[in-house]
Amino acid sequence: MGIVFTRLFSSLFGNREARILVLGLDNAGKTTILYRLQMGEVVSTIPTIGFNVETVQYNNIKFQVWDLGGQTSIRPYWRCYFPNTQAIIYVVDSSDTERLVTAKEEFHAILEEDELKGAVVLVYANKQDLPGALDDAAITESLELHKIKSRQWAIFKTSAIKGEGLFEGLDWLSNTLKSGSS
Amino acid sequence: MFSLFYGLWKYVFTKDELRVLILGVDKAGKTTLLEKLKSMYLNGEGLPPDRVVPTVGLNIGRIEDANAKLVFWDLGGQVGLRTIWEKYYEEAHAIIYVIDAATASSFEDSKSALEKVIRHEHLKGAPLLIVANKQDVPGVIDDEELAKFLHLKELDERPYMFQAVSAYNGRGIKSGINWLVEQMEKSKRTETLKAHNGVAGQI
Repeated sequence: MGIVFTRLFSSLFGNREARILVLGLDNAGKTTILYRLQMGEVVSTIPTIGFNVETVQYNNIKFQVWDLGGQTSIRPYWRCYFPNTQAIIYVVDSSDTERLVTAKEEFHAILEEDELKGAVVLVYANKQDLPGALDDAAITESLELHKIKSRQWAIFKTSAIKGEGLFEGLDWLSNTLKSGSS
Repeated sequence: MFSLFYGLWKYVFTKDELRVLILGVDKAGKTTLLEKLKSMYLNGEGLPPDRVVPTVGLNIGRIEDANAKLVFWDLGGQVGLRTIWEKYYEEAHAIIYVIDAATASSFEDSKSALEKVIRHEHLKGAPLLIVANKQDVPGVIDDEELAKFLHLKELDERPYMFQAVSAYNGRGIKSGINWLVEQMEKSKRTETLKAHNGVAGQI
């Protein structure tokens, strides 16, 4: 009975749940972003071995956000978390121009995955506070985002340290998940 | 045996997917138009205009009417993002170009961006619907005035039409889409694209 009421309540007030994966190379800022979104503050992080998972409530959507470790040796395990994912947040260190090619390759490998075919893609061009950081247009070019043609995508300039751009991205994400377009 | 019939059935009755690019400078109303299209053709889905935020990437809408399956690609219109437009040209069957007809200060920018679109060789022969948007706003100019103002050359190589539209209340959308579908169906470009289809999976 309780379940019925819960369902009715959430359908009336538009509460939804979405499973989001935060992916990207090591040191892109994934964990900092996760805790910025969840607690609103900057926490000091160490490289993630394994994953962190938190729930972020925003715009009537409960985002279950999975932050998976980004080091080369553990990237193969990302796949275990792919099923039932509605969206991918791909985080790029915009100042690490040397590794943009690797970032692009990992990104497109993820997009090829069958279990992620329906997931929308949000790119955070992160670390905009650092000198020499490339802007959104340049990151779009480097990641070859234009090759994405059968799902929705968006890119936002972010600084996880300063807290800029992150919620603009989530706005897009909640709009996109709500309008149920594709 | 069944699969043979099924194959034949599919061959005869499956509608091809027609891809339409929605272009225009920022604040023209592209995403609002897309969301209105979705709410008109999909019964209720689609965001209300006040929830639309500037697009920095790609929005997609899929609709189906009696004659065709349509996929809309709505791309961001800010100056820095216009470079990605052309990456989508080759696979597009037709273009909707949206202009904010209520803001005269945007016309020059709109015109020069549109001229670039028209000149691009990857869009050869693609039917073009030019939308004089925001007809619900006072002081707006209509489709004929806009056509006069833009004074576009090099349009003759393709089917084109100006259409007065309000993405806000839906005025003019259906007739524009009907025209576009009709044009795509008889367009040579559609035939050519069909021949090239199914080469690679899309991501």
